[in-house]
Amino acid sequence: MTEPSVLRRYTVPLAAGVLFVAVALAFFALNAPAPFAVFGAMVQGAYGDGFALSISLVKATPILLCALSVALPARMGLITVGAEGQLYFGALTGTGAVLGLLHAPAWELLPAMLGAALAGGALWGAVPGLLRARLSVNETIVTILLNYVAIRLVDFVVYGPWKNAANLGWPATVSFPAAAVFPAFTVHGTTVHAEFLVACAAAAALHGLVSRSRWGLSLTLLRSNRRAASIAGVNYARNAVAVMAIAGMLAGFAGIMQAADVQGRLQPDISVGYGLSGFLVAWLAGQNFLRIIPLSLLMGGLTASADALQLFAQLPFASTVVLQGLLFGSVLALNGWLRRSKA
Amino acid sequence: MHAAVVFLAQLLLAGVRSSTPVLLVLLGETLTQRVGVINLGVEGEMLVGAAGGFAITAVTGNPWLGLVAAMLAGLLLSGAHALLCLGFKVNQIASGVCVLTLGSGLSAYYGAPYVGRQIAGFANPSGFASMPALAPLLAALTPTVVIALAITPMIGVWLYKTRTGLIWRTVGESTEAARMVGIKPWRVQLAGILAGGLLAGLGGAALSVDYTRTWVEGMTAGRGLVAVGLVVVARWNPWLALPAALLFGGSEALYLRLQSLGVTVSPYLLSTLPYLIPLAVLLGSYRSARRTGGMPQELTSIFKGVQ
Repeated sequence: MTEPSVLRRYTVPLAAGVLFVAVALAFFALNAPAPFAVFGAMVQGAYGDGFALSISLVKATPILLCALSVALPARMGLITVGAEGQLYFGALTGTGAVLGLLHAPAWELLPAMLGAALAGGALWGAVPGLLRARLSVNETIVTILLNYVAIRLVDFVVYGPWKNAANLGWPATVSFPAAAVFPAFTVHGTTVHAEFLVACAAAAALHGLVSRSRWGLSLTLLRSNRRAASIAGVNYARNAVAVMAIAGMLAGFAGIMQAADVQGRLQPDISVGYGLSGFLVAWLAGQNFLRIIPLSLLMGGLTASADALQLFAQLPFASTVVLQGLLFGSVLALNGWLRRSKA
Repeated sequence: MHAAVVFLAQLLLAGVRSSTPVLLVLLGETLTQRVGVINLGVEGEMLVGAAGGFAITAVTGNPWLGLVAAMLAGLLLSGAHALLCLGFKVNQIASGVCVLTLGSGLSAYYGAPYVGRQIAGFANPSGFASMPALAPLLAALTPTVVIALAITPMIGVWLYKTRTGLIWRTVGESTEAARMVGIKPWRVQLAGILAGGLLAGLGGAALSVDYTRTWVEGMTAGRGLVAVGLVVVARWNPWLALPAALLFGGSEALYLRLQSLGVTVSPYLLSTLPYLIPLAVLLGSYRSARRTGGMPQELTSIFKGVQ
């Protein structure tokens, strides 16, 4: 991965942005009477006022965390699509801790919940890492299969042993106690949850670690030349398991945040494709941890604007999924075209 | 004893039926990977096939038109994968995820009006009333099952015994060698991707038009992605596609059957089997695939995850 020139660093995002606006307008023109007005409503719905901004931040946080969990393994050449499963499994184990300590004070409950969620996510990430290291099994395929398993395990507990009997037909656990809620504060009408700041701090920490430490260098070495790395004494297996476990922790944190803060309980649909959005963001950012932050805000805004699109132009939620795909495709194509025309 | 035989026979028939969508996608992905391209987007192509096939069947009342529409939808969407990874040389995994996102978004978007609609599906074969003993067998052999079972050996023979099959395999082993003998690799790879899209679309329609006769957003539930893994289990060999697809379909049939027998294990827990059983077999087959080979050489860099 060579560093892009200063010119390219600014022209590429700008061109990608222009391309996306054009593609989005074309999509709206096909599906709604006034494409420019719809686009305006989308921007308004994402960032227009404090309330919209608060929602966008809530949506951006799990996307940011999932993107980090894709970008870290990519540093050593591992391609994971497993953030969704790690998110679900982290939510499951974190909820387990909450249900065991329902009446505990916050200083006991919060660390236990967080610890359990991180451990669960780490386990769900470490398994494909270990299989990759020991059996050379492609991590992309394993993470994909484990996604479906984790989602069904959450179904199992919320329809089965952990279902709140008072809910009648509705599959969900009991509501989490107030002690299980993360702190939040409000600036100029915009609510910022602690998790968003933690996620940004994680991005900065990973950036610092990977660009400045010996460990970051060994990951780069593992990606570019595994044999040379092993001669230099860098252990492939240990690093593969470690990066995948850390990736799992990040996604697991996103999972427990969804259960504790957003839904207030564990229920089947805690994620609206955050894992996949995270994958797109990580690739859009060129696996750069810092660039992931603004792109997550963009993707979070796009997800949050779904309600505005629904109200304004009767476009269903799926329209934002189409837009995500179009955005991703146009940027991939643009990058590919630039790489080829330069070569 | 008799009951056990009947149970197993019913399980096998149910397994073949529920394997059919996976088998079709698996055959398509096998062809795509045989020319050296991996396509995770088959999940999305399957979804547009399922939605498009169902919509056309609901509108026209003709399930055969539905199948044709599904194949076209899958083919068109796979064109996006071809454009990105052949035209713009984008990483194949990233391009596949892009196509997957587009497919799930487009199918949910344009399929929304058809959720909950009823279709009649294919008519039951008449004229076999004189053979009541064969009735369960004939009921299981719906048109898409027959199509899938018929094209499996055709693709096997075509790939291993014909000139064009040899050309496809050559491109998958080495685009460089292919170029040297005057083959244009990109043409063959384009054909491989489009063939995969066509079969993925058909697989989606096999699910929505024939098997469940409903359309629900995201109904493929990872069948396309499971198929990408099952290609490894089947060693990139169309002849082994049926047993590999049965790993998913058979597990699915098994859990549905266990449920109807009143087994007390949670259905949600049992529903992990169609993913865990292929995963377990995949782990085993990786070891032997490494010993005996079978992976098209052009794929090795993608499978090793080099960027």
